[in-house]
Amino acid sequence: MPALKVRAGLTPTFPSPPQRDRGPTDVITQEAGIRTSSGQTLRITPLVKEDDLVAQGAPVACLRDAPQIQFVAPMPGRIARISLKPGRKLSEIVMFHEAGGEVVQHDGAGATTDHALRDLMQSAGVWPWLRRRPFGGMPAADERPSAIVVMAIDTRPFAPDPRQALAGREEAFAHGLQALASLSDGPVFVCHAPGPALFERGLGDGQVRAEACTPRHPQGSAGLRIHALAPATIETPVWDIHAEDVAALGDLLSTGILPMSRLVRVAGSGLRESRLVRAQPGADLRELTLRAVAPGAHVLMSGSPLDGHEAHWLAPRHRQITVLPRPQNDKPPHWFVAALTRSGLPKPVIPTAALTQAFGAALPAVALVRALSAGDDEMAMKLGALSMLEEDVGLADYVLGGQSDLAEFLRGMLDRIQTELAP
Amino acid sequence: MMKGLWDRETVALMLLAAYMPLALFWLWFGGAEALSRLGFALLVLAVWHLVFMIARAQPPSFAALITALAVAMLAPQDLGAIRMLLGISFGVVMGELVFGGWGRNVVNPATVALSFLGFGFPGFAWPGFDDPVVWAAIPAALIGVATGVMPAAVLGGALVVGAGAVMLGVPLDAVLPAASIVLVLLVVDPVTSASTTLGRWINGGLYAGLVVMFATGWTDAAPVQLAIAAALLTSLATPLLDEIAVTLWIAQRRRRHGRN
Repeated sequence: MPALKVRAGLTPTFPSPPQRDRGPTDVITQEAGIRTSSGQTLRITPLVKEDDLVAQGAPVACLRDAPQIQFVAPMPGRIARISLKPGRKLSEIVMFHEAGGEVVQHDGAGATTDHALRDLMQSAGVWPWLRRRPFGGMPAADERPSAIVVMAIDTRPFAPDPRQALAGREEAFAHGLQALASLSDGPVFVCHAPGPALFERGLGDGQVRAEACTPRHPQGSAGLRIHALAPATIETPVWDIHAEDVAALGDLLSTGILPMSRLVRVAGSGLRESRLVRAQPGADLRELTLRAVAPGAHVLMSGSPLDGHEAHWLAPRHRQITVLPRPQNDKPPHWFVAALTRSGLPKPVIPTAALTQAFGAALPAVALVRALSAGDDEMAMKLGALSMLEEDVGLADYVLGGQSDLAEFLRGMLDRIQTELAP
Repeated sequence: MMKGLWDRETVALMLLAAYMPLALFWLWFGGAEALSRLGFALLVLAVWHLVFMIARAQPPSFAALITALAVAMLAPQDLGAIRMLLGISFGVVMGELVFGGWGRNVVNPATVALSFLGFGFPGFAWPGFDDPVVWAAIPAALIGVATGVMPAAVLGGALVVGAGAVMLGVPLDAVLPAASIVLVLLVVDPVTSASTTLGRWINGGLYAGLVVMFATGWTDAAPVQLAIAAALLTSLATPLLDEIAVTLWIAQRRRRHGRN
């Protein structure tokens, strides 16, 4: 059985040109956009006006229902456009970079109590980098999770290696872990690929634990790890955060300045060369792929080929950009061919070994897929759907040929459970 | 935007590829008569799939070829066109198409058709198989398991129980060839066999156990007949097996984590 567990998962391969330069290059794109994660709506109050000059880390907007949670500028610059959808829902806040601007300094050393630490994280813009399960999105301002999962592994295709992002920042990472441990009563799990330890044993009086996981997708996706380590339920929310963001939190606590750069991999078959860059959150995808895309129409996606979506700005938690050739818009198929292939969607799912492996052989995959497509909330909750988000079923959706719409079913089910059962 | 491989038709084609050794050997030894049976079964299935495509917008599936192969190989001999037509129509319509086509069916349409023919026209002789055809079931199962379209645990469960019965001295020599062909053709069908690992082991074991029971207790039944009866009863019990396996899995998780 252990041998089977080691091999559980899949390694989907996608073509991508090689990377020419070695290390990551530092890039600050001339434009950047503050936006929500895909599928999420946030009601905000803008704190700046168009054409205002803002420093890096200065608040530009706050949540309407929880004004202490703020969104900050990822670079010093000028506010170009604030666009809101009806109901003051954030669409995007676009900024232009102004070189030589100021950087906001917080009082990092003063955040010794739980309350002060939350205040600092919320006002410095770290809070939106946290994500809670069930239901996704950032946690409420005073929520105490039953566990926190720190993802120091990413098994999605083309994902940058979190170990590379953490190289030379071990002290900040340990500092950030210690701070996270104080936010939760439960354990803080650090999921990492096999290799040297990322922090000293016994950190936070043993509250911080290292969990090695195997390198096949979806073993390194947050949903599968939470499902295995600390299942999320409505009463016991679980947070997850990327290891690089934990190191940034550590830097914020020791220096008072939140570093606004993250390791981003640009890859995909629509490129001439792949790139590895350090860019700010919300970076402009077109600028990051400039002079690297192959000729011809292409699609710019924020995220991996499995769970990414077409976007203009890098999504808040994403660390990958996928460039694919735009599919040709051929003429519609003959009515007979359409009748043969397009009727009766979503197509039935045939249980195969591929489907089992797409969930890492960690749960009864067919039972979960059937519960999802039949809308059986109760069974899906028992099988662990509350620990999952759309990105965790991305691999299964891909494996099944993109005809079973599992991500949409899961989102619909989570929304339904939230309105019916969550307080 | 990007699509993987394992949609319904790919799985059907993979299964078809797995059944190729079995089909080719059977056609080689059966000759023109086998070919005409296969052709007739295919024709009837194609008509019904077309009817459901036009009337209910249900896309037809390559899985019809597998059903046709199973029916042609296992149906009683010298039935004549009318009886075959009745049996196949009942099996494919009531066993598969009214549920929404292949992938949404509860029982294998070929199992239903063959059971219908067996119960409805008991006077006709059941087919036997040449040795090479029986041996061809092994590569068929291997290809199916290697490509992941046949559940290995079902085969495993059946082999464990079957081997156990042989070691205990149950006289199974007469039924083994037919039982193994029915196992590969009907019981390991990914749609209608169990979908959890534990359920699959029990599923295979249940089939083998029923075959052993029928072989010892059901006098004057042909080997194919009792294997098909065992397959039908097994596929009816499958949802229960899955339910048990999922309940056990949930209970185990609740014990480990204190919550779901």
